Amino acid sequence: MVRFLVRRLANYVVLLFVAVSFTYFVASYFMDPRSNYLSRHPIPPKASIDLSLTAANINDEDPLLGRYWRWLTNIVLHWNWGLSPDQDPVGAAVSGRIGASLQLVTLATILSIVVGVAIGVFTAIRQYRWQDRVLGGLATFFLVIPTAVLALFVVLGAIWINKGLGFRLFYVTGLHSYEGSQFGPWLLDFLQHLVLPTIVLTIISAVTYHLTQRTYLLDTMNADYVRTARAKGLPLNKAIRKHALRTSLIPTAVNVAFSIASVFTGAVITESVFAINGLGRYFVTTIQQNDINGAVCIAAFAGACTLAGALLADVVVAWLDPRVRLS
Amino acid sequence: MADPELSVTTAQMGKDLAHDVGSTGEQVRRTGRLALYTRRFLRRPSAVAGVVVLALLVLFALFGDSLTRWGYDEPDFLSLASPPSGEHLFGTTQGGSDVFALVVRGLGRSLMIGILSSLAITLVAAVVGTAVAFFEGWVEKVGMWILDMLLVIPSFLLIAMIVRSSSGTSGWLWLTLGITAFGWVGYARVLRTLTLSLRELDYVHAARFMGVRSFTIIWRHLIPNLGSVLIIQTVLGVVTAVNSETALSFLGLGIKAPDTSLGTILQMGQGVVQTSPWVLLAPAVALILLTLSVQLIGDGLRDAIDPHSRSGGKA
Repeated sequence: MVRFLVRRLANYVVLLFVAVSFTYFVASYFMDPRSNYLSRHPIPPKASIDLSLTAANINDEDPLLGRYWRWLTNIVLHWNWGLSPDQDPVGAAVSGRIGASLQLVTLATILSIVVGVAIGVFTAIRQYRWQDRVLGGLATFFLVIPTAVLALFVVLGAIWINKGLGFRLFYVTGLHSYEGSQFGPWLLDFLQHLVLPTIVLTIISAVTYHLTQRTYLLDTMNADYVRTARAKGLPLNKAIRKHALRTSLIPTAVNVAFSIASVFTGAVITESVFAINGLGRYFVTTIQQNDINGAVCIAAFAGACTLAGALLADVVVAWLDPRVRLS
Repeated sequence: MADPELSVTTAQMGKDLAHDVGSTGEQVRRTGRLALYTRRFLRRPSAVAGVVVLALLVLFALFGDSLTRWGYDEPDFLSLASPPSGEHLFGTTQGGSDVFALVVRGLGRSLMIGILSSLAITLVAAVVGTAVAFFEGWVEKVGMWILDMLLVIPSFLLIAMIVRSSSGTSGWLWLTLGITAFGWVGYARVLRTLTLSLRELDYVHAARFMGVRSFTIIWRHLIPNLGSVLIIQTVLGVVTAVNSETALSFLGLGIKAPDTSLGTILQMGQGVVQTSPWVLLAPAVALILLTLSVQLIGDGLRDAIDPHSRSGGKA
C-alpha cells in the first residue's frame, strides 16, 4: 500500500510540475501586463513601464525562458511565487484568501453530499414512480441552469423576502459584518451571510450527487448478489442497505474525493455574485489586471488540490473496494 | 464522410433482416434505422417539447430584431432604465439600451458559440481519443499522460487566461476557440475508453493487416462506430459550452461591449438587481429555456439512439 501510494505520489508531483509550467507559458503568452500601462492617461514613459514590469519579472521584452527560470528558482528556493504588476507578493494574497473560500464552501460541500446521496438513494428505490420523476425533472433543471442565473435568482428572492419582512434577514454581500467580539451575535451574523451562497452551492453540487448515486444504486440493485440476498429471505430494505448501497457508495466516495479541487475553484461565480473575497474572486481580479504570477499561483493551487483529490480517491478505492489489487 | 458509411451499414442490416425474415417465411415491413430513431424520439413528450422550444429560440435569435425598432447598439437616451413598455418590450438598461434587442443579439451569440465549440470539441476529442487508443503501446501511454496533465489545472482557469487577450467584434471567435482548446480533454479520455473494445473488432484487424493507413481506419471505422455517442455528446456539449460562455462573460472575461451575449447582459443586470430587475429577467429566462431545451433533446436522443437504452418498449 505504501509503495503504491509513493509511486502514485511521485507521478502526481511530476504531473503537477509539468502542468503548472505549461500554465505559466500559456499565461505569459496570452496575458499582456504592458497593456495596463498603455491604457493609462497620460501613458507613462516606456523606461518606467519596463522598470516596474522587470521588477515583477513579467516584462514581455525579456526572454521567456529566462523569466521562467527566475520564477521557478524563486519558488523552489524561497517559496516565493512572485509579484503582481502592483508589486504585491501573490503568495500572501492567495494564502490569505484560502480561509474565506474554506468558510464559504465547507458547509455547502457537506450538505450537498448528504442531501445529494440521500435523494439519489430515495429515487433509486422508487425508480419511475412519481417521486423519482418529479425529483429527476428538478435535477435536470438545476443541472443545466447557469450558476450565475441561479445565484441572481436567489438574490432576487432574498431581497423580496427582506422587503416583505421589513428587516434584513439575509445579507447578499460578504461573509461578515458584525464587528463586536461576542460569539453568539458573530455566529448569527455569519449564518445570515452564509445562507444564500450555501443554498446556491449546495443545489449545484447536490444535483450531480443525486443523479450519479441513483445510477450507481440502480446498477447494483439488479446485481446477482443482491438477488441472492433477497432469495435467502432478506427483506428488501435490508438487502438494499447491507448489500446494494455499500457497493454503490464506492464510486460516490471517489467523486467526493475528487470534489476537493472544486471546493476552492468551483465557487468563482458564487463568490463574485455575493461579493465574497475568496480565491475565485481573486482569480478574476488577477485575470483583469493581467497578473501572470497571481493567475499561475491560483492555477497551481487548484492543480495541487485536484491531485490531492486524486490521491485521496486512490486511497479510498483501495480501502473500500476489495476487488482492487494494488500490485 | 460518415454518412455513406452509415447508409452502407443500414443497407447491410436491411439485407440481413430480409434474409432472416425470408427464412422464417413471414412478411414484415422493414423499419429503417432513421425511422426507428425518430419514432423512439417522438415517443418522449419532453424531447418533442425541447425541439419546439429550441426551434422557437433559434427563430427568435434570427428574426427577433425585426420585432423592435431599436438596435442592440443604439441606446435610447430618452428612456434610461425604464421598465417594460410598448416601446421597449423588455425595458431598457441604465445606458438606455433596449433589453429586447440585446437579448436577441445575445441569444444568437450564445447559440453560435455553444454550437460551434461543441462541434469542434467533439471532433478534436473523437480524433485524439480514438487515435490514442488505436496506436496502443507507447503512444497510448504518452497520450494518456498528456491528457492527464491537461486535466490537472481546471480548464475554466486556462480558458479565462487565453480569452482575456481578445476583445472587440471578433472576441466571440476567440471565446469559441478558447472553450474548444481546453474543453475536449475530458471527452477524449471517455472516447479512448470506448475505443479500447472497438480496436479489437475483426474488420479493424483486417483493415490493419491489409495495410490501410492508420488515419483512414480511424476515420472510416472507429469514429463512425462511436457515432451515437458522438451525436449525444455534441448535443449535450452545447449546454456545457453555453454555460461556460455565460460564466466567462458574466465575470467580464468573455464577450465585451460593443458586442453582447446573454452572460454579458446578466452582468449588466447584476449591478441593478434592486432598481431594475427586468434587465436580469429576460436573459435569465432565455438562458434557462436554451439550456433546458437542449438538455431535453439530448436526453431524448440518448434514449432513441443508444442501443443499450431500455427506455422505450418495442422498436
